[in-house]
Amino acid sequence: MTGSWRVMALALSLAIGSVPMGLLVPRAVFGAGSPSGKISIDATLDRDTVAPGDVLTLTVVVRAAGLNLPAVSLPALPGVTVDRAEEAQNFSMVNGRVERTSTAVYRLIPHHEGTLQIPPLRISAGSEKASTSPITITVTRSAARRGGSSAPPGATPSPASPVPSPGSASAGTPELFVKATVDRRRVFWNQQLVLKLTLYSRVDIIGDPDVSPPSTAGFWTEGLGAPRVGRAARNGAQYTVMEIRTALFPTRTGTLTIGSARIRCRVARVTQPPDPWSMLAVPDVISQDVTLASDPITIVVDPLPRGAPQGFQGAVGDFRLDLHVDGLTARAGEPVTARATIRGTGNIAAVRDPEIRARGAARQYVAGSSTRIDRSGDELVGEREIDVAFVADQPGILEILPVKFAWFDPEAKRYRSQTSEGVKVKVLPGSFSGVIPGRAQTPGPVVAALRPIPGPFGTLTLDPPAESAGILGCSILAYAAAMVTGRARRRRFRDPRLVRARAIQEILDRDVARAHALASRNQSAGAAALAEHALRAGMSLRYDADVAGLARGEWTQKLLARGAGAEEIAALQSLFDSLAAIAYAPPETRSSGAKQAIAEVRRMLERYRRELQP
Amino acid sequence: MSLRVAIGGLALATALAWGAPAAAGQSPAARADAAALFNAGTAALSSGDLGPAVLFLLAAHRIDPRARDIRTNLAIARARVEDIQGQGTRESVPMPSALALSASEAWRLSAALALAGTLLAWGSALRPGSRRLFLAASAAFAAGLLLAGFLLLRAREEARHPEAVVVAPVLEVGAAPDERPLPPYLLGAGEVVRIGRTHGDLVLVRVSGNAIGWARRSGLWRVADAARYTARSGSR
Repeated sequence: MTGSWRVMALALSLAIGSVPMGLLVPRAVFGAGSPSGKISIDATLDRDTVAPGDVLTLTVVVRAAGLNLPAVSLPALPGVTVDRAEEAQNFSMVNGRVERTSTAVYRLIPHHEGTLQIPPLRISAGSEKASTSPITITVTRSAARRGGSSAPPGATPSPASPVPSPGSASAGTPELFVKATVDRRRVFWNQQLVLKLTLYSRVDIIGDPDVSPPSTAGFWTEGLGAPRVGRAARNGAQYTVMEIRTALFPTRTGTLTIGSARIRCRVARVTQPPDPWSMLAVPDVISQDVTLASDPITIVVDPLPRGAPQGFQGAVGDFRLDLHVDGLTARAGEPVTARATIRGTGNIAAVRDPEIRARGAARQYVAGSSTRIDRSGDELVGEREIDVAFVADQPGILEILPVKFAWFDPEAKRYRSQTSEGVKVKVLPGSFSGVIPGRAQTPGPVVAALRPIPGPFGTLTLDPPAESAGILGCSILAYAAAMVTGRARRRRFRDPRLVRARAIQEILDRDVARAHALASRNQSAGAAALAEHALRAGMSLRYDADVAGLARGEWTQKLLARGAGAEEIAALQSLFDSLAAIAYAPPETRSSGAKQAIAEVRRMLERYRRELQP
Repeated sequence: MSLRVAIGGLALATALAWGAPAAAGQSPAARADAAALFNAGTAALSSGDLGPAVLFLLAAHRIDPRARDIRTNLAIARARVEDIQGQGTRESVPMPSALALSASEAWRLSAALALAGTLLAWGSALRPGSRRLFLAASAAFAAGLLLAGFLLLRAREEARHPEAVVVAPVLEVGAAPDERPLPPYLLGAGEVVRIGRTHGDLVLVRVSGNAIGWARRSGLWRVADAARYTARSGSR
């Protein structure tokens, strides 16, 4: 047998579930509380030196003042198998102050020698923080404990005996194979069945086998402790066997398949020397990687029969209900705790708590709950506890009503139920100082008085009022329309022809209008000069040519080059001549001619403006 | 000039947005009386029923968030809840801000901003050269839309995960019937959570955006339904 197998066998003496929590002797405590003491965390190790494959127990206790208990989890530890074995919660109330305690028990199995460091476990609740100190564990083979090993049924426990060499085996028997078996192939929904994965070996295995568990879609799986190691005879040959057991609970009906498990391991093979008579010949040992696979198994899952009793919540197995009340007398304001315990064989982790009610209680609290699972046996067994605290404010009788629990017994194929006795608790007058949990106590700031008149009125939903939604929707559309309109207008205003047309309009509005006003006041010379200036400017804008200050011949050439027609040139020259004549004509003949000429200039400029507009 | 137009547009939009509810009217059944809720919460606070006290005062605060009496009693109720749970001190619980707006007021403000932005945008469109008017329009409209977006997200979260208050003295939050059991998480009376989908008599409880488990529906009252639990509110 290789060292790792031997160590595994030794570890079985401390198999999961075999060490009761209360019997552990703590070797080291690592913990601290927050500065205000509202939360604290303690981590306790049963010992700080172990052998590889040995089991050590880490107990983590978290306390918190208040209802909310901070969560803590163990970080991943390389080379260590971590199993959260047990968990329990406690609730206490003293003078209206609530304290909750959570206890988690971890079983750690280190696989390699060396120093194992568990980093500080940290918790926080609001501004409160607490953490443990780092925990150091020494893993050494010298700490190995000697003890018996648990072996699979039918096998002979002999962990220390050597594995026979292949050459000594019976002919026709494989050296190494794996077999998957179940204890029953037809079950009810949520009924327990046990899958055994057994590795048979007649050769030395180097290191730990790498086991890939089978796919168990449609099942709730629970491991049944550490692997069992022993010896067994099969077809006349002796094998070293390793058995891995798993409890399965089908979560749906029909035909389900347990897939193929794969085991990879490295075996040591001894080859004989070529010359058996040579005294110096040393046998060769070579290693070989082997991959084994088990056969798939088909399971038929039947639905539960009809006729489930009232209160049945899906528990399947063999269970028992106990109800315990912590006292038959209590004082008003003090809690009375009723504990319902369900224990038995089955998927205890999935069992729903029975309802515990009382008559005459002012308030009730779920004071705590815990689940303990024993994985050391052939089947999954355990117990679940639920604590409910009842508080009566007035003296009298507090009656804990009978508690009922129903389950389906798959062996008897019928439903069973159990109802506890009711318990009457005598409530005496209270002795406390008026502190009632859940009730307002000493007044702090002054409470504002009631309102004598109604109002204001409003809605409690956060949805938009219809009118606001309407305004918002319309605003979005109108804003988009404004953006489109503004953009179009800006684009138009950037058009050069339009800019020139607007300039002509400004000339009309400013200069021509002023010329007309001067003419009306008999200032014909000034009006004619202004009209001539306006016409020259309008001409420049219309043909996009600067003609200011040019002589007649020059601007004529320029306008012709810009596309003006001969008729247009002639009309302009005629109009300029008229305006010049008005400027130099006798005053009594100027007025009517000036108005006529200015009107002609206006018509000319308006025509220019129209021609420039798109 | 642009500034005067901007101020005028904003004033007109505000008047339109605020005046619209009165003109349009609201369904009387949808309106709750803040005074009735406040009185119910104050009575519950005086009798020590912290769950209903927080619920009613929270509901009254939704309608009339600037009322000093509501803010005072809500702060006292929250302080007592924390005191009962052993968390914090009474002095550490702040009074709600006096500058708050109710949901309908916030919606109207967002509508007013968007409308003002729209009016200013039209002014800017008709006067293409006015850059300041265009900037004012864009700023007002963007502010209105941002506020509306925030309010819409809040309303959607309230619709999907309504705010609720624990009214049971202690409410156990655990796993669903078909889930692996977990250590129970206990909520105290007056704690404010959000709730999700239902499963029979159970409802999914969410704290700080995370689902923490399932609890009895009867132990949680939705703030939006608070008016149903008072005798004198819910009608006008």
